[in-house]
Formats: sequence, C-alpha cells, structure tokens
Amino acid sequence: MALLSRNADRIYWAARYLERSEDLSRLVQSYGELIDDLPSDDDTASRWGALLAVLGPSDDEPDMAEAGERAVVRRLVSETERAGSVAFCVGAARENLRTTREVLPREAWRAVNDLSLFVRDEAVRAEDRRFRDRVLTRVIDDSRRLDGILTSSMTRDDAWEIWRLGRYLERADMTTRVVGVRAAALMAHREAALSYDEVHWMGVLRSLSALQMYQRATRGAIDATAVVQFLLFDDLFPRSVLFCLNEIDRCLDRLTRPDSVRHDVATARDALMSVMATTTDGADLDQAMEWVQSLLGKVNSAISARYLSIDGG
Amino acid sequence: MLDELGPEELAARQQATELDILTMGITFTVYSDGENIDRAWPFDVVPRIIPGAEWSQVERGLAQRLRAVNMFIDDLYNEQRIIAAGVFPAELLEDSVNFRRECVGAHPKFGVWAHISGSDLVRDDDGTFYVLEDNLRVPSGVSYVIENRGVTKRAFPELFGHNRIRPVDTYTDALNKLLSSLAPDGVDDPTLAVLTPGIFNSAYFEHSFLAQRMGAELVEGGDLVVGDDDCVYMHTTEGRQRVHVVYRRIDDLFLDPDVFRSDSMLGVAGLMRAWKAGNVGIANAPGAGVADDKCVYAWMPDIIRFYLGEEPQIANVPTYRCMYDDERDYVLDHLDELVMKPANESGGYGITIGSRATEDELKACAEAILDDPRNWVAQPIINLSTVPTLIDGTLQPRHVDLRPFILTGESSYVTAGGLTRVALQEGSLIVNSSQGGGSKDTWIVDEPNDAPAQTMRQSQHQSSGDEGGAA
Repeated sequence: MALLSRNADRIYWAARYLERSEDLSRLVQSYGELIDDLPSDDDTASRWGALLAVLGPSDDEPDMAEAGERAVVRRLVSETERAGSVAFCVGAARENLRTTREVLPREAWRAVNDLSLFVRDEAVRAEDRRFRDRVLTRVIDDSRRLDGILTSSMTRDDAWEIWRLGRYLERADMTTRVVGVRAAALMAHREAALSYDEVHWMGVLRSLSALQMYQRATRGAIDATAVVQFLLFDDLFPRSVLFCLNEIDRCLDRLTRPDSVRHDVATARDALMSVMATTTDGADLDQAMEWVQSLLGKVNSAISARYLSIDGG
Repeated sequence: MLDELGPEELAARQQATELDILTMGITFTVYSDGENIDRAWPFDVVPRIIPGAEWSQVERGLAQRLRAVNMFIDDLYNEQRIIAAGVFPAELLEDSVNFRRECVGAHPKFGVWAHISGSDLVRDDDGTFYVLEDNLRVPSGVSYVIENRGVTKRAFPELFGHNRIRPVDTYTDALNKLLSSLAPDGVDDPTLAVLTPGIFNSAYFEHSFLAQRMGAELVEGGDLVVGDDDCVYMHTTEGRQRVHVVYRRIDDLFLDPDVFRSDSMLGVAGLMRAWKAGNVGIANAPGAGVADDKCVYAWMPDIIRFYLGEEPQIANVPTYRCMYDDERDYVLDHLDELVMKPANESGGYGITIGSRATEDELKACAEAILDDPRNWVAQPIINLSTVPTLIDGTLQPRHVDLRPFILTGESSYVTAGGLTRVALQEGSLIVNSSQGGGSKDTWIVDEPNDAPAQTMRQSQHQSSGDEGGAA
C-alpha cells in the first residue's frame, strides 16, 4: 500500500529520533558504568566532557569539554530545548508520530505518548545518579517495546519499510559515532588508557548492547581489533554497521524505484569495507568513521529525495 | 446505581478515566493555550441516560429533517422551486453569505449536499427535545462520542453486561459506506481521503481518528494535486495515486484557491473543477452551508412540509420572523418573554434577552426590529434540562446539550445518542470545551419489554426555570 510522502517523512524521522534516544540513553548509561571502573585519581570530571563529542561538532554551543558529569548528562539527556538530547529526541519522535496516527497501529502511538509524558516529567532526574538508570532504562525499554508492537502488529507496507529505513540508518550512524568517538578518546588518554584497554572496549560493547553477543561470537577475550571488526562488519549482529546497511537494502527491495538510494548505500558499504584494511589506531579509525558518516548522510539525502518529498513522485 | 458506589468509588473512577484519557492521547486543541497545543479532554464520568423509545423518535425526526434540508439545498442550487412557490423568500437567498454561486447547477450524487451533519439539541423542562441549530459545514465532536464510550466501559465495566446500551462505534463504518458511495461511477474500491487543515486545527484529533477508523488517508492540501485530466491525486512513496472521495474538514472558502480565496494554503487548486466534472466526491458538498443559518432555521418546518409533505417529527424552537407582519406584531407585544436575535450575526452578538433587558433596551430593540425587520427573528426562552454531574465529589445538576450526528446519502444513519456537552460551572449554559465545558458519555438504554422498567433509570433533574437560557 502506498504511503503519503508527507507521512513517510514523519515516520522516517520518528524512527530516527527514537533510535537516537535509545542509543544515546544506552551510551550515557554505559559510560557511567565505565567511569566507575576506572581509577579515580584521574581527572574524572573532564572525562564526561569527552562524551559530548558523540553529538558531533557544534558551532553555536559553548565549549563544554571541561564540563562535569551533571552538566554533560543534562546536555545529553534532560535538556528539552537543545537538539540532540534524549528528551528532545523523544519529543520529536512523538510530534512526528502524532501526525501519522492513522498509519501506525494504535498501540504504537500510545507507547510513544506514554514515553514522552514520562520523559517530560522525569528526564531531569537522570542528572541525579541514583535515578539515572531508571530513566534511561525506561527510554531503552520503551523504544524496544515500540519495535515489538510494530513487528507483531503492523502490516508490511511502505510505512513499515520506511520505519525500518529510519531505524537502521540512525543505528548505523550511531554505531559509527560510538566507535569513532571512543577510539579518539582512547587516543587522547593513551597513557592512562593502556592498562585499562580491555575495560574501555567492554564499555564500548556495552553501550551498543553488544557485549554478550560479541563474547558468544568470538569466544575470546576483549581485543580492540576484534571489537571493531565485530561492530563494523559482523553480518549477523543487528547493531553492526554492515548489518544495518544490509537491512536498508532489504527495505529497498520492497519499495518502488529504489535505484538512486541503492547506489548511495553501495558507496557507503564500499567505504565501510575499505576500513577493514586500515588499522584500529585511534586517529585513523576516528577519521574513517567520519567518512562513513558523511556517506550515510548521502544515503539520507537520497531517501529524502526519493520517498519523503512531494517531488519524489 | 451511582448511590451504591458512594462518593469515594465514584471519585476513584473519575480519576481512572482522567489517566486513561491522558495516556490514550485524547486531546483537543485550544488556540490560546500557548505552546501546549494538546489539552486533555475534560470528561465527566457519570453517563447521561436517555430511554431508547424516546431516542427512536428523535432519530426519526433527525433523519426526516436532514432529508428535507438536502432537498432544499439541491433545489436552491438548481430549480429553486421553493422560491417560485413563494414558500422561501428570494431576498433571504440573495442576502445569504453561505450561498456559493460557483455551485449553481451542480448535481452531487443522490441529490445530497450535507452528508454529515451535527445538530445541536436541547431539552426543555417538559422533556421535549428541540433542534437548536443544524451544523452542515464541518461539524465536529463525533470522535469524542466514541472515545467517551471506550473510557466509560473501562470505568463501569459491570454495567455493560446486563444493560441494553446501544453501541456507538458503528458510526465510522456507516461513514465509510457513505463516503464510498460518493465515489465516481464505476469505481469499486475507492480511495478515501480526509482533508484536514493540519495539526494546529482544534479538531485534528478527530480528523486523525476518523481516517484511522476508515482506513482513509489523512491528507493536507499540499498532499493533493489536480491533474490535467481533472482528477485528484495524492503524492505517495509510489508516485501519484488517484483519490476518489474527499471528506473535507476545511471550510468552503479555503477549498480551492482557483475558485474561492486565492490566498488559501489549505486547499487544492482545481478541486472544484474535478468535483464538477464528477471525478471526485466531496463531503460535505461545497455550498451545503447555505441551509445552515438562523434565517433558514426559522423556515425549517415549512421546508419539511414543502418537500416531504409531512409534519416535522422533531421540534424546532418556535421562531418568529419579523419580516412577516403578524409574527412581528406578536414579537413586539411579547418582547419581555422572548429572545431577539439579529439573523446574520453569530456567536451571540446583538442578542437581547427580553426577561433580563431594561425598558430602554427593549425600546431600542423594538426600534431596531422596525428599522430592519428582515434581519430579526425571536424565540421563546427554553428552560434547559440538567443532568447529575460529579463536581468536587458530589453529584450536582448541570446544564447539558446534545449533538447527535446524522449521515445522509442513499439512506440515513443517526448516532445512538451523541456528544453530550456539560457546562461545569453552576448555572452556566456554556458547554463549549474551550470555555470550561466538559463532556459525558450518552447512553441510549433500551428496556427489555418483559423486565421491570426501573432497573437502570436515572432521574433527569430539571432546572427550576429561573436560570433558563436563551435558545
């Protein structure tokens, strides 16, 4: 069944925002756990500032590199007005779904509306460590609940495929960001980090819900190269970048006239695979991830032009 | 039954419904509400009860009324027999701001123009239902009728098993059938679209709700385009797709910038062209609002008699037309008992309530009537009925009105009950949700013939009359 281009646009962005709020929540959650495991004589305060890099470079915001835990969590989680925070993303997902209620199953709207009411009232409590986990877990759980509702009760029409496009593109993007930023951070603290290398990469895996599956797949110890390989190239793990790109291709199989988008997906995949040849050395990896991100951005533009704007038809 | 529950249980159920409404996202929009464009729908948990036999009579009356209204509209845009017959004055039509010359000569299917109407009813203290006004353009509220029922079922599950409460959610199916029947001839599986002004419209929730329930597309003006073939299309992920029926929830004047207001961003250029060519059905038809003003209201009994040769089965509030000598004389003799209304003002402007006016005000009103009799109508004061409503933990009488929805196509459909709006302020007659009004579920209850009749009756307290309101 065809889908109004305007609705496609909203569903796509709702999916992206929701995925981002889930991924960001998990990242903040696991980062806290990671810092707990590191020696406290280090400059713990500035470590939180490093997490902000995941939002990407920003021109119009004050430099928060030295910001403390509370300020960073506020920026990433509870600040409703600033783009990129969990609260902002959940609100944006709700606003997008609010106007497409007739396309998605009713329970889906209820789940998002529920979550946004919760985040509106409770997100600020995440700034307090004692309540942070409860808030972030709720965001993660509800995002997955929504996926469950859609998987079990939504017709596999264009709206479904567009939803998946949004989810997988955002997930691919977030995985590259987490890998890139963490690699750069490890470089910056090379001396201190070396002895805790394993702990750090465990943190990376946790922030992508990947630790257990990584261990099952590799049956080995935590090793930087193996972790990066797993997160970028494993074709069975649903958060790896390759897996996400493959799923995007599968969505395109069921949409009409996908050629222009498919072309950009292929370019992104080629770029990704070429990373396999480079080292997992921090700076290189960070740069490679930025390159992949820019190509994912092109996939986004191609999807917009093809399916989300009225000129696409 | 409510007495058995006791105040605490009742309050608990009211609270449960409020939470229910919040999580389901049942909202309406208030323009002045700043950034918070959604407000939860104010709901009173105590249902209003109307006996089935009484309601069946109202249903017959409404179906009859809308049949006649539609014949009237079709006649005005075509032969104008009613004017030729001297029953309806030609001057009134000339003065009408809702008569659309662009629609003259159009022949919508079944001769029906006002497919969906929401008539506002009130009850007098003798129990008689009166039609207060016929909303023939884009009446809203039906989604709340259905949502309210859902909420009440969850609050009082025990009552639905052993009472015969007529269901309300057949409405969307009936609407779906009606709209489908408006598709161009030869189209078997038409694509329906609900045309909304967008999320900032106060009835957006309802537009979305109806589209969902009918499997229709919810479209905005920008989603649609009229092709060179005079057919209507929507932009989709698969390119342009044909739309066969548009249920428009925007006013006539915004429908088509080529024909009406050229600055309209809400409409679709060429829509009227497509409609006149018979390539798209539009409900309600453009121009249907011509039968929806105070002047036409006064002629309604005559209109029903003229087209159907029947007596009206539901009452009009008696309306004196000052353009006729005998009716004007009556009005001038009884100013202190009547409510005088200028015909072409809306929203209560220029109304004089005889019983509350000073001598000077009555004198001024009489002069205004004599000065321009055609512009004035007068009605007796109706003492509105009240029903029990939960206020601060106790049941208190509050004024209500009732808006049933009537579908007219090849056949007619009337909702079982309708939207009961309640004025939550003591003594107030203002039921609008934007001004402190709330709503109630409305139960049409059929009595099993063989059972004692008092099982589930709820007394309908009547107001004492001193706070009677203008109809």
